[in-house]
Amino acid sequence: MAWLSRQFSTRVIVLIPIAIAINIVLGYTVQTILKLPIYLDSIGTILVGVLAGPIAGALTGILSNLIWQYAPGIGGGTIGPFAITAGVIGLLAGIWGQLAVYRSRPASGTQLLLAALAAAVIVVVVAIPILNNPAYTDPNIGGYPSWVYTAAVVIAAIVAVVVAGFIYIRRDLAGLWVAVAGVVTGIIAAFVSAPISAIAFGGVTGGGTDLLVAALRQGGSDVLHASLGQGLFSDPIDKTITSFVVFMILSGLSGRLLARFPLGERLVRDRAA
Amino acid sequence: MRPDPGPDPSVAIPEPRAAVLPAYVLRVPTGPYRALNPLTKFVIAIASAVVAFGVRGWTGPLSVLVLTAAIAVVAGVSRSLRRFVLATIPIVASILLVNAFLYPGATDVLFRVGPFAATGTGVTVALQAVLRVIAFALSVAVFSLTTATDDFLADLEGRGTGRRLTFVIGSAIRTIPTMGSRAVEIIEAQRARGLDTEGSIRRRLRGIVPLAGPMVFGSLGEVEERTIALEARAFSAPVRRTAMRVLPDSSTQRALRWVVGLGSLVAVAVSVAGRFPLP
Repeated sequence: MAWLSRQFSTRVIVLIPIAIAINIVLGYTVQTILKLPIYLDSIGTILVGVLAGPIAGALTGILSNLIWQYAPGIGGGTIGPFAITAGVIGLLAGIWGQLAVYRSRPASGTQLLLAALAAAVIVVVVAIPILNNPAYTDPNIGGYPSWVYTAAVVIAAIVAVVVAGFIYIRRDLAGLWVAVAGVVTGIIAAFVSAPISAIAFGGVTGGGTDLLVAALRQGGSDVLHASLGQGLFSDPIDKTITSFVVFMILSGLSGRLLARFPLGERLVRDRAA
Repeated sequence: MRPDPGPDPSVAIPEPRAAVLPAYVLRVPTGPYRALNPLTKFVIAIASAVVAFGVRGWTGPLSVLVLTAAIAVVAGVSRSLRRFVLATIPIVASILLVNAFLYPGATDVLFRVGPFAATGTGVTVALQAVLRVIAFALSVAVFSLTTATDDFLADLEGRGTGRRLTFVIGSAIRTIPTMGSRAVEIIEAQRARGLDTEGSIRRRLRGIVPLAGPMVFGSLGEVEERTIALEARAFSAPVRRTAMRVLPDSSTQRALRWVVGLGSLVAVAVSVAGRFPLP
């Protein structure tokens, strides 16, 4: 119980509503106003998870989606059932926080170069099985539009370059771990979301990502696998971007402020060293 | 907390409360359906969502749709429902197109549009999913149109829900409009400095960072002040707050909540097990 109540200090209780508001306002802007094929609605959730712990993170995620759905004047849409996914994302973020994934790790020389390369390789390794999905490559399954395949290759290459560049320019090994955490979170989120989307909404969400679902269906996937294919495409990209945004937010906040949160000591690097 | 708890705070003193508190604190919602306890309305909304999504085929979504529409008419909110139904248009269009034309494995072709064939199976699945989405949207709309957030939270706290949870929910709902207007202020401030936030997607994308940066850091900067303000007001005091607003509840409503809540779960279990095949 001490472990649980430590996650909910007054400071965390104040942070959670602000995190929920950040989730909803940014998510609404990106999905509804800009209509981009990513979500960007879990920055607050991951922030709370990293600063306070898994249960606080999960609560932030679940409440974000429920409030987004049910609150008067804000509510509507189809986000409510995805509260389960949001909870899992928060839970994972709490685990990353406890493993000190987001702590800054300055490096230089060959170590830095190796980390940047490793990050790029990880992105490529993750992208290959997604790109080798029979729905993308097997011409017997159906007339899969080749522009989606090209777009996927281009996006994977850009992500690899950006992640490697981020690590190299900021001279910080943490970028490698943040990228890994983002990709793993994204893959798990995709597996949790696909059944929800298939059962509740016939496999689509009404956003920019539905184009992908349609393309995969045409390629011969069934309802669940088309949703999963779309999720495995969008979620790792989305969660990696979100994780880097959270990392930049954390490095923009003062150590004095961070250290006061339950997992603060795992974020602030030992400046005496 | 009340300023003067009297000689013994553990003794309930209902009478002076009515005399001391101003009318706006004690006012309770009236009118058909609105007058129900907020928790009853919430249980009905959640049960509707569970049945709409969980009971397969036509029965689940249709029964929720009819029931929710009836409640909306009784509560007198049927006119305001239009906004919520209109909000489902993007997903409804997406469901119809993707499922009618691209339903995996369906061969019973109804008609063709270019290279795409609409199938009977696909259209059936699409219509059921559309009904489910609309039934769910209506159940959400009826709850949020008939229940004030403050009432719901006051009732939850009166039932023993921790003040931390009710604070988180209430504060989040109040923070969202504040953050929205802060976003507008930031956009205008950045525009005054020459930022172009309209036009092509690339320009709008470039506007995200100068918008999101100050918004996120500004609100995170408030955490410290708010924490001190709450602590100064005995937020972590280990006692329960006196409930000022007591919303009416009855044993009938309590029974209704259990029946509706458990009934929805049983209906889903029966539907998933396939014991009584329904259309």
